[in-house]
Amino acid sequence: MSNRIAALIGACRWRLRARCKIDAGRRFQGRQGEAESLAPQILQRASRDSRHIVPVLAVAVFAAFSPVADNARQIVDEAQKRSDAKSQRYEGLLQVFDAKGRISDKRWMFERLGSHGDSKAVLRFTAPAEVKGVALLVVNHPDRASDQWMWTPAIERDRRIALQDRSTRFFGTDFSFEDLEERDVNQYDYSLAGEEAIDGAACWKIVSTPKEAKSSQYTRSIVWVRKDNYAFARIENYAKEQPLRRLNYSDIQNVQGIWTARQLEMADLRRGSRTKLTLDKLEYNVPLKDESFTLQALRRQ
Amino acid sequence: MSLRPSVLFVLLGVLPIASTEAAAQTVTERGFADAALYVFPQDAPNDPVNVVGDALVREEVFVKPAAWIQFAAGLDVRANTHDQVEDEWRIDFTDRGVKRPRLSIRRASATLTRGPLTVDIGKQFIRWGKTDIVTPTDRFAPRDFLNVVDSEFLGVTGVRVAVQAASNTFDVAWVPFFTPSRVPLLNQRWTAVPEAAADIPLVDDTAQLPERSQVGVRWSHVATAFEYALSFFDGLNNLPNIDAAVQTVPPAVLVTRIYPRIRTYGADVAVPTRWFTLKGEAAYFTSSSPRTDEYVLYVAQIERQSGEWVIVGGYAGEAVTARRATLTFAPDRGMTRSIVGRASYTIDPIRSVAFETAVRQTGDGFYAKAEYSQARGQHWRATVMSVVIGGQPDDFLGQYSHNSHVEATLRYSF
Repeated sequence: MSNRIAALIGACRWRLRARCKIDAGRRFQGRQGEAESLAPQILQRASRDSRHIVPVLAVAVFAAFSPVADNARQIVDEAQKRSDAKSQRYEGLLQVFDAKGRISDKRWMFERLGSHGDSKAVLRFTAPAEVKGVALLVVNHPDRASDQWMWTPAIERDRRIALQDRSTRFFGTDFSFEDLEERDVNQYDYSLAGEEAIDGAACWKIVSTPKEAKSSQYTRSIVWVRKDNYAFARIENYAKEQPLRRLNYSDIQNVQGIWTARQLEMADLRRGSRTKLTLDKLEYNVPLKDESFTLQALRRQ
Repeated sequence: MSLRPSVLFVLLGVLPIASTEAAAQTVTERGFADAALYVFPQDAPNDPVNVVGDALVREEVFVKPAAWIQFAAGLDVRANTHDQVEDEWRIDFTDRGVKRPRLSIRRASATLTRGPLTVDIGKQFIRWGKTDIVTPTDRFAPRDFLNVVDSEFLGVTGVRVAVQAASNTFDVAWVPFFTPSRVPLLNQRWTAVPEAAADIPLVDDTAQLPERSQVGVRWSHVATAFEYALSFFDGLNNLPNIDAAVQTVPPAVLVTRIYPRIRTYGADVAVPTRWFTLKGEAAYFTSSSPRTDEYVLYVAQIERQSGEWVIVGGYAGEAVTARRATLTFAPDRGMTRSIVGRASYTIDPIRSVAFETAVRQTGDGFYAKAEYSQARGQHWRATVMSVVIGGQPDDFLGQYSHNSHVEATLRYSF
């Protein structure tokens, strides 16, 4: 699992294949109130078929007192479930520090419709002045890599970002184009690599590997998921054995019921540079329309 | 032609009305002030001026009073030390003059959206095609060629309707007012004159600007592994045929620009492969004018981003099916039968370099640009560019061999 646009918002988002699974999970969580201590494997069972929700609930009450999950896939499923939202909007401040510590600031407006890999997102730069209006449309697919187009207002043209070009840096930041996409949970294999504390918070350490290696610049990623709220604490991306990028999550807050990191820092470990992203005016479930996430919409300023 | 009051009313007068009704309108703007200095080390036969200063202030405002409608307006203010800008202080809308207007409406349009339908009305930019440097299907995009190797797009006034249905987009454009490309000034260096004829004045005998409308349709399809488009254009070539007549008293050559009617049938495709993206674009130009060539322009290019590099390279070609014209100003055709390339490298978040070249396959002409750009703070950017042009006088690029130059630009963006 590599870092994705979801990484920018505090929790990686993978889409569950069947909608009923998510719905069942929600209903389950709703009845239990604070479900943070529930074992993910029980949630997984609960979500297998919403018709069986009542008997599964009974099992889940028992499971609330059982040890934490050791199934990596289920932890990721649960993290996804807890960050589910119909849409999202925020204003991002990007501070790019190069190896010598020099800073350049950029701002973008980010909007996403959908969630968990079956979503569309537009981010549009609002500062500095010379890049105002530059925009990226990301159309995420549950079964393959996303489609991406970049709009450059100075030449009034859009350009599709080819798959092989997505390992390059996105507009001078330390995020690559690939880091700005979401992928379905089913596009990866997972294994639990242990437990480790990040910034004092106990975390599960999970190794994820893309099933289709050609579609990603990363051959594997290590993900740290916090045990207390299933928020992501860190992601480290590797090409073979070489670590390429590290994404740290901090200032994790509960926003409209979703634990979200308000500050993310992506470090390019080869260049020695880093980009800090701060999320302002973050909202979930804002009313957004599908037609705002098309190529035609991209060229509207 | 100055601004038409009716157009102003429709495009700008509606804006404040709609705005007052809107509760949650968004207003965005962007702009810059640009000061550029061009230094030409060599005299041209018809132009001994070696240093040219140019200033441009551009402001664009976008108002979105509701989710379904957006207004865009842009204004340019220009000045130039080499008489490339009109003296008159008037607001120009059509951009048809020989010189650049001092005050011009760069864009003034309304965009209406409903579901998959998008309608743009007014002065706007319509860009078709996928390739760079030469774009055969880009028929609604006239340019300002006062500097032939550093041209800028001009807006066109019309209506564009786009419907997006799943992976398909149908695009129809209707442009009732013709906007020609701005050709080089006859008494300046980008009109190449042989040294022997330098003393004979060239007189602009005005242009024959047709009043007929232009229409184009384009269907584009985005597939998982590639995308392609087919297009048809029925209208006018924004690049002119040239009629030259000799006047005896006083001795001069009268130059008339004629914009022939053309039809083009085009296609463009982009195919990402494992190593690079392959892009192709071609258009077949036909004309009912007996003095206009019929030909195919085509471009095949590869594109790759790798690390901090963005590299584009390819070949632009031309196949003439009917040769009829004697004299034209056609930079698009002039860049064909050439190997073209562009590369840019981002040094760090504030610095970048770029290179661009076109070399004729015969070796008769070439140009090469090298550019270094550096930002300072949030607003300032300085750019230094060197352009080298060489070749034979009878080659489109080679004829500008006196025009190698250095350009320094300081921009304040706001």
